[in-house]
Amino acid sequence: MSRSLRKLGAVAVAGLLLAATPACNSASNSGSSGDGKGGDSARGVSGDSVKVGGIVSMTTASGYSKKDTDLGAKARFERANAEGGVHGRKIDYLGAEDDGQDPARNLAAARKLVQRDKVFAIAPMSSVTFSGADFLQDQKVPTFGWGTIPAFCGPTYLYGFGGCMVPMPGGTITQSWPEGLKKVMGGAKGRSVAILANDNEPGTFAIRTYRQSFKAAGFKVTYAKSVVPATSVPSDWSAYTKDILRSDAGKAPDAVVSVMQTPYNIGLFTAVKRTGYKGVLTDPTDYDPGLLAKSATRKALDGVHVLLTFQPFEQQSADMRQFKQDIRKTAGKDVPRNMHMMTGYMSADLFLAVAEKAGRKLTTESFQRAAEGFSDTGTLVGDRALPKGRKEAFGCGALVRLKDAKYEVASPFTCYEPIPFR
Amino acid sequence: MSDLLGFALSGLVSGALYALLATGLVLSYSASGVFNFAHGATAYLCALAFYELHSGFGWPAVPTALLLVCVAAPALGWGLDRLMFRKLARVGETAQIVATIGLLVALPALGLWAVELLDDAGAPVEPAENQFGLPGVGPSPAKSWQLTDGVGVDSDQLITWVATAVVAVGLWVLMRHTRLGLRMRAAVDNRELVELRGISADRLSSVAWMLSSALAGLAGVLATPLLGLSSHDFTLFLFVSATAAVLGRFLSVPLAFAGGLGLGVLQNLVAGYADFAESLTGFRTAVPFLLLFAGLLVLTRRQRVAGTAAVDAAPVDYLAGRSWGRRWGPWTVAALLLATAFYTVTTPFWSGLLAQGLALSLVFVSFTVVTGLGAMVSLAQATFVTGAALVAGLLLSHGWPFFAAALVGTCAAAVLGAVVALPALRLGGRSLALATLALAFLADQVLFQMGWLRNGDTGWEIPRPVFGPVDLSDDRAMGVAMVVLVSAAVASLGALRGSASGRAMLAVRSAPAAAMASGVSVVRTKLLLFTLSAGLAGFGGVMYASFNTRITATDFTAMTGLVWLAVVVAAGVRRAQFAVVAGVVFVVVPHLLSEYVTESAHVPVMLFGLAGVALANDPDGYCAAVSVRRWRRLGPAGPSPIPPLPETGAPPQTPYRPERPRPQTPDGLKPRRCGRGVSARPAFEDEPRSGDSGGPGGGSPLVSGRGGIGESPAQRQPALALHDIHAAHHTTPVLHGVDLTIHPGEIVVLLGPNGAGKSTLCQVAAGQLTPTQGQVTIAGRDVTSQRATDRSRAGILLAPETRAIFPTLTIDENLTLHLPDTPSREAVYTRFPALAARRTVPAASLSGGEQQLLSLAPLLQHPPDVLIADEPSLGLAPRVADEVFRLLAELRDAGTGLLLVEEKAAEVLGLADTVAYLAQGRVAWSGPREDVRVDRLTEAYLGLAAPGAGTQPHPAEEAHHP
Repeated sequence: MSRSLRKLGAVAVAGLLLAATPACNSASNSGSSGDGKGGDSARGVSGDSVKVGGIVSMTTASGYSKKDTDLGAKARFERANAEGGVHGRKIDYLGAEDDGQDPARNLAAARKLVQRDKVFAIAPMSSVTFSGADFLQDQKVPTFGWGTIPAFCGPTYLYGFGGCMVPMPGGTITQSWPEGLKKVMGGAKGRSVAILANDNEPGTFAIRTYRQSFKAAGFKVTYAKSVVPATSVPSDWSAYTKDILRSDAGKAPDAVVSVMQTPYNIGLFTAVKRTGYKGVLTDPTDYDPGLLAKSATRKALDGVHVLLTFQPFEQQSADMRQFKQDIRKTAGKDVPRNMHMMTGYMSADLFLAVAEKAGRKLTTESFQRAAEGFSDTGTLVGDRALPKGRKEAFGCGALVRLKDAKYEVASPFTCYEPIPFR
Repeated sequence: MSDLLGFALSGLVSGALYALLATGLVLSYSASGVFNFAHGATAYLCALAFYELHSGFGWPAVPTALLLVCVAAPALGWGLDRLMFRKLARVGETAQIVATIGLLVALPALGLWAVELLDDAGAPVEPAENQFGLPGVGPSPAKSWQLTDGVGVDSDQLITWVATAVVAVGLWVLMRHTRLGLRMRAAVDNRELVELRGISADRLSSVAWMLSSALAGLAGVLATPLLGLSSHDFTLFLFVSATAAVLGRFLSVPLAFAGGLGLGVLQNLVAGYADFAESLTGFRTAVPFLLLFAGLLVLTRRQRVAGTAAVDAAPVDYLAGRSWGRRWGPWTVAALLLATAFYTVTTPFWSGLLAQGLALSLVFVSFTVVTGLGAMVSLAQATFVTGAALVAGLLLSHGWPFFAAALVGTCAAAVLGAVVALPALRLGGRSLALATLALAFLADQVLFQMGWLRNGDTGWEIPRPVFGPVDLSDDRAMGVAMVVLVSAAVASLGALRGSASGRAMLAVRSAPAAAMASGVSVVRTKLLLFTLSAGLAGFGGVMYASFNTRITATDFTAMTGLVWLAVVVAAGVRRAQFAVVAGVVFVVVPHLLSEYVTESAHVPVMLFGLAGVALANDPDGYCAAVSVRRWRRLGPAGPSPIPPLPETGAPPQTPYRPERPRPQTPDGLKPRRCGRGVSARPAFEDEPRSGDSGGPGGGSPLVSGRGGIGESPAQRQPALALHDIHAAHHTTPVLHGVDLTIHPGEIVVLLGPNGAGKSTLCQVAAGQLTPTQGQVTIAGRDVTSQRATDRSRAGILLAPETRAIFPTLTIDENLTLHLPDTPSREAVYTRFPALAARRTVPAASLSGGEQQLLSLAPLLQHPPDVLIADEPSLGLAPRVADEVFRLLAELRDAGTGLLLVEEKAAEVLGLADTVAYLAQGRVAWSGPREDVRVDRLTEAYLGLAAPGAGTQPHPAEEAHHP
């Protein structure tokens, strides 16, 4: 039996190799498959429309969803279409594919949008994973998304709506957080901060970045550690709060900075407040008016200063009013606003702005040419500039403070001078 | 110092949730031997339901929680037990592990889908995403108190602590001080024996699953404020809690409870004092998994030789004896078609999809090696994939050529596999699965956090290879290359299976002890399997990463490995081809579903999970389900019985007991009719025997003894009668028409050589095995279709070949199972002072003779109608054996009909009223003891009697049928 099996195996392999060889040759003869590459008639562009798709994590096992990103993008595209489209072309927005925060599905979604739906561009792409990045770059698909993933830093076809938000070697660190806190705390001189992050590599990286960032702004960093277990939220925070609250020579620091996700922040801030701490609490994730709906989160986050990289909804400006109006119109009713709507909206907005600049003859080449040297100012994410945005963030931010079940602007949306990342 | 106290104190509070989950794990494991990976998912489901009912529908918190914990969760547990766990207890451990992993995937998706459907139907449900700070049963926001400097508690923690303590005390009382608890513990010890004692093990299992499910529900409701609605976090939390269950050795509720609290304290201490670990990113995150791994290594009792799941029943080989073409033809054609399709019909999108599926298949095939060939469940395959791809990516970034980088990556994975395999040499089954899972998490949290290896979130680029004129950056070329690689992998595995090493692997899988005795190194074989599988997974990983053109450290996590396992085993893990099917299905089906069936992302997840759950019915996977079922129905095809292939080399087994060698092709030796009609004409039948002159004490030459009851046999029905019994194990016939009767107060001794079918006959008599033909009656009532539990209740007791005791229960508890009333037990103690002196000692610590006495002693108090004793003197010293025989005789005198099965004839003949001789599945001769001729017996034992008996009727038989 074994011999015959072995023989069989050998024959099968030989047969397959035979079958494969001409196939491989023909592959090399035909060159790389040419769909969507170059040419005058760009993929997804017709005389009166441009096809655009989206990739968004909507359902996940972690219970975290960015599905309102889709709504934001839709709202922005609908307004563009209502205003006559881009150089006479309506945006045919196909809606967002759900990648479920799964790398395999992220790539599959990118492939489907490009190879089956033949989109010209992807806006928005908002997920924690972006394994479709290389494919999209290779297929020359302009893609707009949230630049918190390294893939948005460098590749020529991928654009972060707020620039590249990951400090890269040779790049810069945005100073909006410490500078905003300076305004809140009345300067940095003599002020101490403690920074806490999760015990994993991204946490370590965040500690490295923000230690430098806060020091550069003049703060005294008394504690900067990535020690909180990253897989499950601690149910007891006493060990961490003790360390933090004694870090400034046995006293509590003036500010506690958390670089963690909402469930962790709730636990940490509750525990810190329970000790009677009166200093500043701040984090970059908890700007979600949905959090106000729950009494527990309202209480845990009360008084917390949250960093934003876009204009707060509470700030009055023409663009913000327009944003709210667009969202209301597309949703069909008043919906609680959140930052995912903003990421979707502004991803679409950057695409539209560049496409507008590209002119009537829309191809990937003309689009890319338009992107080189593109810039505008005073948008909801500040002053945008390309290709600078491929290496650094646009550098603008605001701090809002949760008080009495309402967010209020603590430090208005401003653009700051970044510092070089070491 | 006050810090230390504070940490310990608050750790005790925060450990309550671990304790609660661990307790539930222990309970369900005790009930059915299944480690429920889905325990956390059940908790999540209840948390979701609580949230929707409370926050969405506006139901009040406490009644909703009570409803969920006391009604809904137990109902879920009951349903799952009926649908799957009950069946799972009877299939191999691999299928058990995988089915609960399937559930782990399916349950949350089911819940979310239900919410989605309710939302569509207009019900006032709340979205389940992005929900934080959810209310629990207590006040929301929770009230909190600062006890000392740095130590605070809140109302949610207190509620959890109190609820957990109440539950633990309640469970302890239930398990230690109630009849139900005693029975449940007995069922853990020996499920089969519990059934033989007339207690329905199924019902006990239902109760335990309901309890366990309720505990999961309680944990879910209590954990909602902490964990929110993240099924991922619930499952991770469960794995952390598993450490506490390990501390309780999966058996002790109090220990698991204490372990949970201790875990909370330890985590606090690590958080407070592990400053030394600051330079090692991920160490603190990994602490629970380090503990889990260490706990498994230290505390797992060595139950099996070198980690092989002994009850992993060998699969049927429905293709046995089929031609080469039948076995491989369809697959070869499929591969050729697929390769051709890439250049003819598939669109670029489909080329990419298929190439991706095939690349994944290469990884999936690695499961065939470790789980299919080795019967070891590895949950670390994703680790090997990530490890290999990261190493390859690192080297490629340094300018290495693709193939060198892939080779080194593969080797790195193989080394990693060998490291993971080291515990495998000690652990088996669920412990091994958990240990590999712990190592996978450790790798995720420590190894793959190292900056130089993972290169941040960017990862490494792994471009598609180009060799000569062939450029794999074309998806079609990639697809064809994948077809070739996958075919090569499948073919080499086929060849490996047939080779000497492959046979050694199968031997180690089926019978490690025997393999060791035949000079096969179990250690080396297992190391080889793991290393090979890890290398294969690693190579597949490099190819898969190269399809993606990039690898990042978070692409394939430990949880990914879990889902993969469920997907592969659901398809079938015994053949490499099935793994390929699994890979392609895993990639293609979600797309097809979203295209043609439903937009819901939860449905494909649910289906993949349910496929794992379906293993309860088809443990060999869906690829083989149809063929196996047909094979079972029709029997083996082909003109003559074909010797089983190596993979089915182990004899087919009943789920419960090892079978002895069966007679070889009985049909070939003797025609069935002749066998039954002539040679095996039994001495005792139901027909009236007016000629018999009955006499007490076995004095009559013609009929059985009457045990001094003094009644004529003709007037009395036999206590137990077997009529024309045919029985088979799976498809191997063992009994070919056996007739046997046992009257009250009679001892029938059944003799026969090894393999004659004696134990099978006992199983049929006790209802453990349903005969394929024939009839079993108890006092004239047909009970053929009754199972063991009912037979036992009807008065037929089987003392199986192994000692009929529950080893971990104390002597007193063993007796209590038979004799609930204290006076009866005291009577036993009076009679057997040796037992009385050690009543609180676990029965396992008794000597073999004492154990046998313990199993027979309670019967004297309430003699059963019939006792079937399978080798009661096995392994006993002659003096002890005599004592046992005395007890049996006493039972006879009390009116019990006894069927004694013995291999050694000399000792029992003195006891017998009637002797029946079983050879090759037939009663070759039977008659009163006086007629037994020693020379005939000897001949029979030497295998000479059976053919002769057909032509020369025994004198006793002639006398009996004038």
